[in-house]
Amino acid sequence: MRYKNLGRLLKIGTLLFTWGLICTVLLQIVCRFSWLQTPSWTEEASRLFFIYAMSFAAGLAMKNDFYVHLDMFYNYLGKKVKKVLEIAIPLFSLLLFLTMALFSVKFIVLGIPEKSPSMGFNMGIAFFSMFIMSISISYYLWVKIARTIKKQRL
Amino acid sequence: MIWILVVVFIVCLVLRFPIAFALGLACFCYLLAKGIPLIIVPMKMYSGIDVFVLLSVPGFIMAGNLMNQGGLTEKIITFCNHLLGHIRGGLSLVNIGASMLFAGISGTAISDTASMGSILIPAMKKEGYDADFSCAVTAASSTVGPIIPPSVPMIIAATLSGLSVGKLFLAGALPGLMLGIGLMITAYIISRRRKYPKHRRSSLKEISRGFVDTFWALLMTFIILYGIIGGIFTPTEASIIAVVYALIIGKFVYKKLNYKKVQVVLLDSMKTSASLMVLVGFANLFGYILITEQIPQSISNGILGLTTNKYAVLLLINLLLIVVGTFMETLAALLILFPILLKVAVGVDVDPIHFSVIAVLNLIIGLTTPPVGVCLFVASSIGKVSIGAVSKAGLPFLLVRVLVLILVTLFPAISLALPILFMD
Repeated sequence: MRYKNLGRLLKIGTLLFTWGLICTVLLQIVCRFSWLQTPSWTEEASRLFFIYAMSFAAGLAMKNDFYVHLDMFYNYLGKKVKKVLEIAIPLFSLLLFLTMALFSVKFIVLGIPEKSPSMGFNMGIAFFSMFIMSISISYYLWVKIARTIKKQRL
Repeated sequence: MIWILVVVFIVCLVLRFPIAFALGLACFCYLLAKGIPLIIVPMKMYSGIDVFVLLSVPGFIMAGNLMNQGGLTEKIITFCNHLLGHIRGGLSLVNIGASMLFAGISGTAISDTASMGSILIPAMKKEGYDADFSCAVTAASSTVGPIIPPSVPMIIAATLSGLSVGKLFLAGALPGLMLGIGLMITAYIISRRRKYPKHRRSSLKEISRGFVDTFWALLMTFIILYGIIGGIFTPTEASIIAVVYALIIGKFVYKKLNYKKVQVVLLDSMKTSASLMVLVGFANLFGYILITEQIPQSISNGILGLTTNKYAVLLLINLLLIVVGTFMETLAALLILFPILLKVAVGVDVDPIHFSVIAVLNLIIGLTTPPVGVCLFVASSIGKVSIGAVSKAGLPFLLVRVLVLILVTLFPAISLALPILFMD
């Protein structure tokens, strides 16, 4: 249930921020070619939408195995080694992303006193995207480990 | 300490960690060993992705996927069939011609192989073409995608070097055209020898109808290029214009897009882009470590210590990139090596735009060479032929690409003529 809900949340987040990105850039273009004055915040807003869209989609990319890897040497490895690697790879990756999530919190705190140049929001909001990215990837890595252990036990 | 970075990265790659994660883990181990605060990981990740030009990457991927879902692939193939189908080995030429047109929309090779291959490989097999040849032509033709504008690798190269995206797009146009024509000539010669079939000549009416059908797709390429080169849009704006245009054409002209399809395409495109951006973010951290350790300078001094002859240096770089491109994914290799090698190339007076084209050409050769040639894998799985057979059938096409690479390396004018003509 939690697995489905998180997936749904990430999908909604990705789509919302993608449409946000499209609309903001369009607004920038429309204003430039009309009598309206181009708002100063469009570039910053589109960058924010982009980073958030990427952060939400990064977890989904993990869920659907979108990250490319090198297969060449793996095929020469023995069955036992492959079995160990099935858990070791997501485990070490999980360690990396959990550490990143932890330090993302520090990064957010560091950004709170800072203000974005044109929109004036606190930069902690922008830096929060890194937390979403690392925690969503971590979650799907954890799911992968749990499923592999379950499969290997069976 | 730099050995930790290199060893961990290579070990992780060999053990089949995703390339982005291998980069991240290598940096992580290095930072731990050096005692550098780990807050730098999210910091560098953020600053690596927070670049305005990079916004165009998901834009172009989305536009290509939307056009593909909108039924454009079939229309491009039909149009090319009217134009080239009457020549001996017509379908192989159609395959290459359609890839060249499709390249102007998608910007990535894998989507090209998958979308063209799923239609053309079965059709070619049905007409009596050898399966390995059909797969080899499809894989080879899709490699023109990343060089003909709009090109995702060129956007990445522009981000890494600070060069103009418009100039890089233009610089890739002529080499892309040469590549396409070279592949067509090779396919024609093989087809004549093997007596592959040809279709009847299409009437002028059929050709013009095919043109009208594909006109909207071709217009998109024109809008993107004219917008960027003419200084009307930034590359990011052009990519979003392309998305909106593809939505309108797919919904109201080709009438194949609905709400559900659009959402699926957007999600898939964003997942592809996100996997690239995680790579870009970690590559930014990797690049930062290399710079603090002064590795680009050391490599540059090392190569320039061997020789300062421009062509000898370019030969060394070409060999290195071909080998790396054979093993590593194009964008990953570009992100890791491009900033280092650009410094070396500039050191021997190679124009950065010229060098960008050389680097991208080198790396796309790897898309169809085993063991990691992704296009090869996609084509062989569609055609149900072994990778070995497709690689063997693809050898003449590989030679063409190497020949184009040699010409582009030796004659900078091939890359620089269009940027100078239109943008200087």
